[in-house]
Amino acid sequence: MRNRSMACINVLMTGVAILALASTAAFAQSFKPPRTADGKPNLNGIWQVMNTANWDIAPHAAQAGQVVALGATGAEPAGLGVVEGGEIPYLPDALKTKQQNYANRLKNDPEVKCYLPGVPRATYMPYPFQIVQTPKTILMSYEYDGAVRTIYMDNPGPAPVDSWMGWSAGHWEGDTLVVDVTGFNDSTWFDRAGDFHSDELHVVERYTLVSPDVINYEATIQDPKVFSRTWKMSMPLYRHVEKNFQLLEFKCVEFVEELLYGHLRKQPSK
Amino acid sequence: MNAPFRIATAVVLAAATHLAGQVFKPAAAKTSSTAKAWTQPRTADGQPDLEGVWTNSTLTPLERPAELAGKPYLTEQEAADFVKRLLQQVNSDRRDGGPQVDVNRSYNEFWRDRGNDLVADRRSSLIVDPSDGRIPPLTPEAQKRVAETRAFNQQHANEGPETFSLWERCIMRGLPLVPGPYNNDFQIVQSAGSVTILAEMIHDARIIPLDGRPHAPAGIRQWMGDSRGHWEGNTLVVDTTNFSPKFSFRGSDANLHLIERFTRVDPETIMYEFTVDDPTAFTKPWTARVPMRKTPERVFEYACHEGNYALADILAGARAQEKSAAGGAH
Repeated sequence: MRNRSMACINVLMTGVAILALASTAAFAQSFKPPRTADGKPNLNGIWQVMNTANWDIAPHAAQAGQVVALGATGAEPAGLGVVEGGEIPYLPDALKTKQQNYANRLKNDPEVKCYLPGVPRATYMPYPFQIVQTPKTILMSYEYDGAVRTIYMDNPGPAPVDSWMGWSAGHWEGDTLVVDVTGFNDSTWFDRAGDFHSDELHVVERYTLVSPDVINYEATIQDPKVFSRTWKMSMPLYRHVEKNFQLLEFKCVEFVEELLYGHLRKQPSK
Repeated sequence: MNAPFRIATAVVLAAATHLAGQVFKPAAAKTSSTAKAWTQPRTADGQPDLEGVWTNSTLTPLERPAELAGKPYLTEQEAADFVKRLLQQVNSDRRDGGPQVDVNRSYNEFWRDRGNDLVADRRSSLIVDPSDGRIPPLTPEAQKRVAETRAFNQQHANEGPETFSLWERCIMRGLPLVPGPYNNDFQIVQSAGSVTILAEMIHDARIIPLDGRPHAPAGIRQWMGDSRGHWEGNTLVVDTTNFSPKFSFRGSDANLHLIERFTRVDPETIMYEFTVDDPTAFTKPWTARVPMRKTPERVFEYACHEGNYALADILAGARAQEKSAAGGAH
């Protein structure tokens, strides 16, 4: 009698477990995204991450900032990291370069100079960005520095020239927008911690609406000159739901002129 | 000593366009005057379709030059002569002047995209109102402000980044969409509820909401202002306010209210019209009309600031000249 009731309980527990799994999967699959006129998930809107990936995409503790006068406002917050597996698979020489970048990040981080952020860093800058979606063209306009990229949905061919933001070719796989980005120069970083790439960088992004106000974002990174294998980062993108939200200007070129040209200014005569 | 592109900036508004033989009568209704019937294409959500890449390069100047006063439209011969004179003015391949002048002219028409023609209806100015084709007089306050800025920039030329133009500082190309010596391409993308104008220079995507929301709070001032759009029939009307006092278009100030109109008049052409309404700067509003022609080109990345060697080199050169003029003393 006891064995039979144990067996019953086991069956019951397994059944409950199966039901639980099934309903989680069913919940994820049951989200039906709103669609555009051409039947694709509607990604139009303004999005932003809520993480500290721009400081450091790997897991990191908080630490003091580089500029003493900024005190706590310049200090680096902690982050659980967005790199799947936690570690970036640098080749041995590339790791040395990363460490040098890190040591000299105040001088060499392109963000300090208001340079274009590249991809995927543009996605997780601490500023909102807007997706404007049409069948042939998807524009992504980033508040940071007014950076903008055009995702060509009509097989644009190979990148004609290298660029900071890369050359983006997009297509839909079911309800996921897949963007293949090539044609990068080697001048952008992945974060403020000196994580970098070569001009052979190849990024594949995936954007999937998983609930009305959340996109699941993944970026697969491939760069045989720098990394020993392909690796991936992932994070949610959250919709800005404030009424009448809009991007504002962060035209930071003006803010860095003193930094870049101050030493070339005419000094007042003594 | 002026850098070559300062001279270029002086002739920046003398540029060229081809129209597809379309004659646009200023006072006419929106329909074209060609015999062929043409239906306005629409986007999936019913907006008139303005999508594509458009160029507004033209040799027609913004203001009617003095020698063409009283001639709002040119005859074919007058137009041909005018084009010849304009092209001669900007021709940097002349061999009159010696080696130093040649070096200064090296920023020549190879780098430019002015086009070779006036607008198809042979208007002598892009300005259509006032009827003399000239910008109306500035108010006394604006005249004072403009004169003071000009004097300051001349007196302090090359002393720091602030005396350079917004183009040279790689801050922005600006508004309205007037033709310049290059990067005259704009891409228009329409999704439900918004129209986006992507300017190639200096990578600026102006996303214009059509949902009737109010402008941003008055305390927010921006280089490109703050734009709101709505459709009037087949014309997109864009209203822009909230301009920063640091931005000036031909003497405008932070009270600038810019009204732009985009109307697709045929498969190859958007007629673009802008009105400058700024009563504290101009004694009356003024309007210009600029055809935008469809182009199969793409808009490419224009990483201006990232490659801005010119600004640093000009400043460094000016400091070196001062040093050598002072006898090389440290």
